[in-house]
Amino acid sequence: MRGAWENLRRTEWFGLLLIAIVGALILAAVKQSFLSTFNVYVMLLGFSISIMVSMSQMVIIAIGQMNLSVGAIGGLVAISFAGFMEVWGLPIPLAILAGLAIGVLCGFLNGILTVITGITAFIITLATLSIFKGINLGITEAQPFYEVPAVVKWFGNASIGPIPYLVILPILAAIAMWYLMNRAVIGRQMLAVGGNAHAAGLSGISVGRTVVAAHAISGGLAAIAGMLVVARLQIGQPTIGDDWLIISFAAPVIGGAVLTGGHVSVIGTCLGVIIVTLVSNALVLLAIDPFFVQLLLGALILGAVGLNRYREVKAEAHRGRTQEAHA
Amino acid sequence: MNTKYLRFLAGAAGLALVTATGASAAEGTRVALVPGGPHPYFAAWEDGGRDAAKDFELGAADYKVPPDWELSLQNELIESLVSQGYNSFLVFPGDSVGTNSTLNELGDFGIPSAALAGCVEEPTQALFCLGTDTGNSAYLGTKELINALGGSGKIAHFTGFLVDPNTQLRIDAVERAVAEAGGGVEIIQVIADIDAPEPADEKINAFLAARGSEVDGIVTTAWIPAVVASTALRNLGDKRIKMVGIDHDQVVLDAIKDGFVHGTMLQNPYGQAYIGSYAMNLLNEGCSISDDAPWATTAQTSKFIDSGTAFVGADQIANYQDAMVKVTQEIMTTFKDAYLSCK
Repeated sequence: MRGAWENLRRTEWFGLLLIAIVGALILAAVKQSFLSTFNVYVMLLGFSISIMVSMSQMVIIAIGQMNLSVGAIGGLVAISFAGFMEVWGLPIPLAILAGLAIGVLCGFLNGILTVITGITAFIITLATLSIFKGINLGITEAQPFYEVPAVVKWFGNASIGPIPYLVILPILAAIAMWYLMNRAVIGRQMLAVGGNAHAAGLSGISVGRTVVAAHAISGGLAAIAGMLVVARLQIGQPTIGDDWLIISFAAPVIGGAVLTGGHVSVIGTCLGVIIVTLVSNALVLLAIDPFFVQLLLGALILGAVGLNRYREVKAEAHRGRTQEAHA
Repeated sequence: MNTKYLRFLAGAAGLALVTATGASAAEGTRVALVPGGPHPYFAAWEDGGRDAAKDFELGAADYKVPPDWELSLQNELIESLVSQGYNSFLVFPGDSVGTNSTLNELGDFGIPSAALAGCVEEPTQALFCLGTDTGNSAYLGTKELINALGGSGKIAHFTGFLVDPNTQLRIDAVERAVAEAGGGVEIIQVIADIDAPEPADEKINAFLAARGSEVDGIVTTAWIPAVVASTALRNLGDKRIKMVGIDHDQVVLDAIKDGFVHGTMLQNPYGQAYIGSYAMNLLNEGCSISDDAPWATTAQTSKFIDSGTAFVGADQIANYQDAMVKVTQEIMTTFKDAYLSCK
């Protein structure tokens, strides 16, 4: 038991876990409605979407790149998914598969262009962001698709108590991503490429294939996020994904990801999403002046990251002293 | 000389060439209707422009959307449209001050422009501002809500982008209506910057979770919050909370029909495009802005024309467009004589 506690305490995300728990306890004490069934349900809905978006970026951060088109892919898939069902009358499973295929294809395109041209993913995805968004607007002319089937709407709003059905898929995806990054060969190869692409290449890893795979997975995750938002909002809004960029980077970075690649944490990213969700929820619950919401959101996130970093530095110093003492 | 200026020169030179060769006589007025970015509110501009082009035999009155809500993208689009031969511009300002630099450049090259659906700050070369008196719309909507509440209760206000100059006007107008209610009504929360579906969904539902039991009424003064709040009330099955929305999204109209929303404040985007295109054509044909026109004055401009606003409740929902058609017709009847001086 004590060993398990020590192991937990040594994890890089332990500080984030503490911040999340303490933050939730403070909010529960200050606002009774914080722990109401409906509020927990609302927070879990926000968590569901954000976790997919964050993991879509996290997998690209793992290879030491950035994907600016995460939101544009999600938005394109969202309107395609809704459009397939409304305009073409496609059955829901087929529309889901088609949406997923579009997301993976967009990611694949990002990856293949990055590998073939040698241009950084930052530039490539900046361009494809515009292309994907342009296709979105060309199809919709800024008008939403309204005729989302009742089953999809139901799925987006159904729950067991405070647990929305919508959270099931992101939890499964998070488990799959944890397995991918920690146990699967391709995941370890991604981290190796992110850590040192040249060394990874010399050790026999196909860097190009790994980069393309990461982008394809990223596109797939963004696609799922886009379709989940359609289910939640009950319409295929062309602006879906427009504001994903900040959360896509914030949660992995709060969770301890190294932006130059080689190190990401799925659990840390999930905790990062929880902290951002808590902060956003608190700002509404505490009726903060709308003109100061952005300022406080940024300051609180910075505070959370700072506290976690402080804890890490202290832990590293402690480990250093212990090693010196043993020596 | 920067590239932006060069592009303008090239566009203006092209326009001059077209005019000199007489092509413009056949093509006539070519109006570009340029919103600040993609948004469902502006979709009716396309119909308004198309109908105006047909009714007044314009060369074109085309709806041209920047790919995103960024001032630089809007400016670049306007510059490229000059190069394509558009000779009149109706622009929703991406920024109430920043858009002036582009409109002033248009004016310097003799290309008339006006602000549509939102105004620019003076001094400006925009000839006029035709739009909803957003403050008045928010004020009237709040009044309707207060009436529906029987003159007392706690209300929340959900509104749009903080960078939109209309947002502060709307916040002030809601406060004014509440102040006039004589203390019986209290604004318990203002949630802004939610004119995008996901933050709107998250924040509106968080609000309803936290304070749904204590709030009696909701007034929304931006499109997306109105849609999201309508959906949220429907999902909750809540008909106790009275809501007055804005605009004519199908989700809001359906919620009014089904009793989840009390009503909505219509704006007149179709009329804005139709009347604006008509005015631009007259200006291109030699009319000028009349000095003694009956302009209204707002916080931003002294040359404001109200394109109309009206409350639509369950009783009027079947013919909700009638109110705006009527306003458009009224403005059209007197527009030329009242606002223009034509030889």
